[in-house]
Formats: sequence, structure tokens, C-alpha cells
Amino acid sequence: MTEPIRTCTLGELMIYQLALTIEDGILAFHGFGSPLVQLALHLAKRSHAPNLVLVAGATYAVNPNPLFLTPTSNDFAMSLGSECDLDIEELFDLAASGRMGRMFLSGLQIDPWGNMNVTRLGDAGHLKLKLPGGGGGCNLSCDAEHVTIWTAAHRAPLDQQGRRRFRLVERCDFVTSIGHRTADGRPRSELPYRGKGPDCIVTDLGVFDFDATGHARLNAVYPDTTAALVAENTGFDFPVAADLAVARLPEPGMIELIRRLDPMRIHRRELSHDDQTREFAL
Amino acid sequence: MFTQADKRCSLPELVAHVGDGDVVAVGGGLSWREPMAALRELIRQGRRGLKVVGSAHGIDIDLLCGAGVVAASGESYVGFEQDFGMAPNYRRACESGEVQVRDNCCYTLVQQLRAAISGLPFLPIRSGQGTDFEALHPEFKTMTCPYTGENLVLVPALRPDVAVLHAHFADRHGNLHIKGPPVADILFAKASRSVIVTVEEIIEHEDLAEKGVTIPYFYVTAVCEVPYGAHPTSCYPNYAYDRQHTRYYYDQARQGAEIFRESYLKPFVNQCPDHQVYLEAIGGRERLNRLATWRDSAEQWMSLYD
Repeated sequence: MTEPIRTCTLGELMIYQLALTIEDGILAFHGFGSPLVQLALHLAKRSHAPNLVLVAGATYAVNPNPLFLTPTSNDFAMSLGSECDLDIEELFDLAASGRMGRMFLSGLQIDPWGNMNVTRLGDAGHLKLKLPGGGGGCNLSCDAEHVTIWTAAHRAPLDQQGRRRFRLVERCDFVTSIGHRTADGRPRSELPYRGKGPDCIVTDLGVFDFDATGHARLNAVYPDTTAALVAENTGFDFPVAADLAVARLPEPGMIELIRRLDPMRIHRRELSHDDQTREFAL
Repeated sequence: MFTQADKRCSLPELVAHVGDGDVVAVGGGLSWREPMAALRELIRQGRRGLKVVGSAHGIDIDLLCGAGVVAASGESYVGFEQDFGMAPNYRRACESGEVQVRDNCCYTLVQQLRAAISGLPFLPIRSGQGTDFEALHPEFKTMTCPYTGENLVLVPALRPDVAVLHAHFADRHGNLHIKGPPVADILFAKASRSVIVTVEEIIEHEDLAEKGVTIPYFYVTAVCEVPYGAHPTSCYPNYAYDRQHTRYYYDQARQGAEIFRESYLKPFVNQCPDHQVYLEAIGGRERLNRLATWRDSAEQWMSLYD
């Protein structure tokens, strides 16, 4: 008899919050290098969204049944037991033709309109840091019907000079994937996109939605965070929902499922060292 | 059309099809089925100035960057995911200006390859407008669609000089069979001027036909049998990803260009005259057998990621 589950970790809370953004019956895709999202899709499919068409990143396997989560995405363990398999052109064609219901994207910089940068820090003339790049994120930010944004590095602690390097920034050094408004102020509605853009940002500090102007708005905090703490760690001002909530925690059965799907705790690698010990009483 | 009856050759002969300054499409993706043995041979032969294009990659492009072989990168991603993070040699080469940054996006690349495959000068896509890829790729144009009036992006045909692939099986005529995700290999093979392939095993045509032809022979320029030719990336079902070797690689790369050259490139590339010597250097039969134990049990499989 195992101990009953009485707490959940920050990772498990984030996975649950990501899963809640997934509608039943849609086709949703997770990219590579995103264990929190991979687990969220499997959690959704095994709870409220059994009819989800789950497409795994990198392998393009449909409805796989992985034995365990691996630290790299294009691994046979991740596509095991798939119902069928797509290839790269079919997956992106599905998005371009309006049949991808939701995609998950992240960034080293995320601006108030949901634009994101995973390409480079610094400008074209002075490259300060070359980031790995966005995979198909640019295309999918335009084409997927909805986008869930996530980051496990919202918290921006003071450095030795007393400054913060924000993850949520006023402006991205490079726009890899597009949100609700271009860097020069054009609204998304002027672009010929089928996709409606991001509708939430799940972070290690809380959950944002987007207001009618397409600006990020704080919608929920966690049991150990406040709107003031979120503001302190965010590089732009943001509105706060009138009914600001404390995010719902996953049920014990869901937590058990996450722990079974990820026995090597790969998803913890997305979290900062301090965040790996954050826990919440159920 | 590549129609010769027998395309088998040695690894040095295979790689001699790549010239200095070529646009090279490297097959596989992330830690899966990268043509690593062919890339190591490219480095040994002193190839220079390659312009690499592709989707999501890792150690393959990072190794080429660490060896000073690359002049420009049009990949959509180069990194080690949540496993080890950013690609150290790739970063250094981009940040020093040695490698020109020409990042692409997966679907843009797919449509550029399809344009080449279809014999068209370009294909239109919707995506990319309003992002900084417009400035990064001035060759992408926009036009008003004559049917709908929408603004579309035109992406030019991409015809790599050479595709470098690793497959499970070939016959001597060059028909290929790939198990599992093909990633962009089929598109690369159809779009490129020449296609060079290492395979785990060359088998009789009848046996290959039974497994199924993933890429027909007439696209393929030359083939070479190189068992474990994707190591340290995986080539399931034959062998899993060698995470321990990749960790060693990453640790050396992270410590700087000089340390990487001395403690990785020398022992595992330049001082290995051929693939057999490389396989001994990485631990020989014992290590290779271990990578095949992923089938034994879930616990055994998981232990390969320690």
C-alpha cells in the first residue's frame, strides 16, 4: 500500500494548468523539449479530453502510449503504441489548413502581446546569445487555432548588480513566434492568419489570459504567490482580473498518473532549482 | 537520375561527394538517426564552408560547428532539449560570427523543399508575417493572392547540393528502407542534387522490397554500409541513444573550443582513421551491446538514460 497523495509539486500544478487549456476532440501537438507539455497532453487525454487527437512532437506519433518520458523527444519510447504516425509535412499541413486546435509554445522572452523569442538575444549587428531556435513555432503561432504559452522561468531573481533579467519582457529582441500584435503595433487581425493567437500563459508564478486588446492579464495565482509578487517579476505592467483566483490543484489520481508517466522526473528539469521543492497541500 | 546497378562504396568515397561550400541537408532529427559516421568522415577529410539546412537538430550540427566545418546555419533548432540544453559549439560559432545565422522554421523549410521537388520557383505560405524571420530572410517575398486578396509569403525553392542520410537498410541499387520517423529525409532526398547514405545493413533487393522502399533508388547517389553509423544518436530498433557518450561530448564542448578539440575531436574523430576505430574508442562491443538492451525491460531501457 503506497502512501496517499496529500501534496502536489509545482511541476504537477503547472502540468494540470496546461492540461486544462486542452479541449476535448481537437488535434493538439506538443513540440520537442517540452516535458511539462508532453505530460499535460497525456493527462488531458486520460482525464477530461479522451477524444483528443494527441500528436507527439518530433516523432509525429498519434495517440502514443509511452512507457516513460525520455529526456529527448525523438525517441522510440515516446512513440510506442501509437495509433498511427504522421510525417513532418502532414503535421504542418494540418495546421496550415486550420485543423490543429492547439499548440504549445515557449520563449526566452515573452512580451505583453504573446510574441516570443527563442532565436537570439541582442540585435542583428551584435549577437549576445544565440538561442537554439524555434523549430516550427513561428509557423504554428500563425496557423494553430489556439496557442498555450508556458514558461517555468517567470521568476526573475535579483542578480549581483541588483537587476532582474525578465522572462516576461516589454519587448523581444527577436520575434520568433507571433502573438496578438506585431512589434511595430499592427494588430493580428490585419494579418491573414487562421489561428486566433495565444489565449493563456502558464508560468511558475501564475496564469495569464489575454484581454480584449490582446494584452496579457493576470488571471490566477498559486497558493504561494500573489499579484504583487508576479508584478515584481514581470518586465511590463499588466491588468489583473477582477476575480483573480487561486489556481485549482490537480486531484490525487491525476498526480499519480503524472508520476507514473514520468518515473525519471524529466519534467523537473524545466524548473529552477528552488522551484523543484515547491509543494502545495491538497 | 542515379541509375548505376551497384552504388556501394567506402565511407571516404561516399563523403567525397560533398564539396567545400556546399549546401548540405543533414538527415535525422534531434537524437534520432543522425548520419554521425559520415559527418565524422567529413571532418577528417577537412571539408570547409558548409551551409547546413534542416529542421530540429542537435549533436550533428554542433559537432560540425565545433570542427569549424560550417559557414552558415539554416536549421530551425540546434540544441540538446531538456537533456543538456543549449548546443555549446553551435552557440560559440554563431556568436563569434564564424557561422552565419540563417535560422528557418520547419514548415517554411518543408514548403521550400516541396517547391524544389515540384520544379516550382517558390511556394506560398501564410505564416511568418509580422515576425523577424521577414528581416532575417530578405529572399522571402510577399504577394497579394489573386484569388482571395490575402497577403501571402513566397518562399523560394531550396535545392541542397547534397543530402547526408543514415538509414536502416539499402540494397546495392540504392533503394532505402527507414524504420520509424523519417523526419525530413524523404523531402531531402527528393529535393537534393545528390544523396549520400550510410546504412546499418545492405541486403538483397528482394528482402528490401519486402520491408518496403522508403526512398527509391534513383534519388540515391551512393550507399555505404556503416553499422552503428548513427552513434551516439539512436537507430531503433538496432540501438538506443547513447546518453552517456553524449553527456561526455556535452561536458567537453561546454568547457570551450580548445578543450573540445583536445578531449573530444582528437580522440573520437581526427585520431580515428575509420569507423571501426571509433567504435572501439567509444567502448567497443560492450557498450554497443548495452545500447541494444532497451528491449529487455522498461527498467533496463530507463537505465540507459542515467
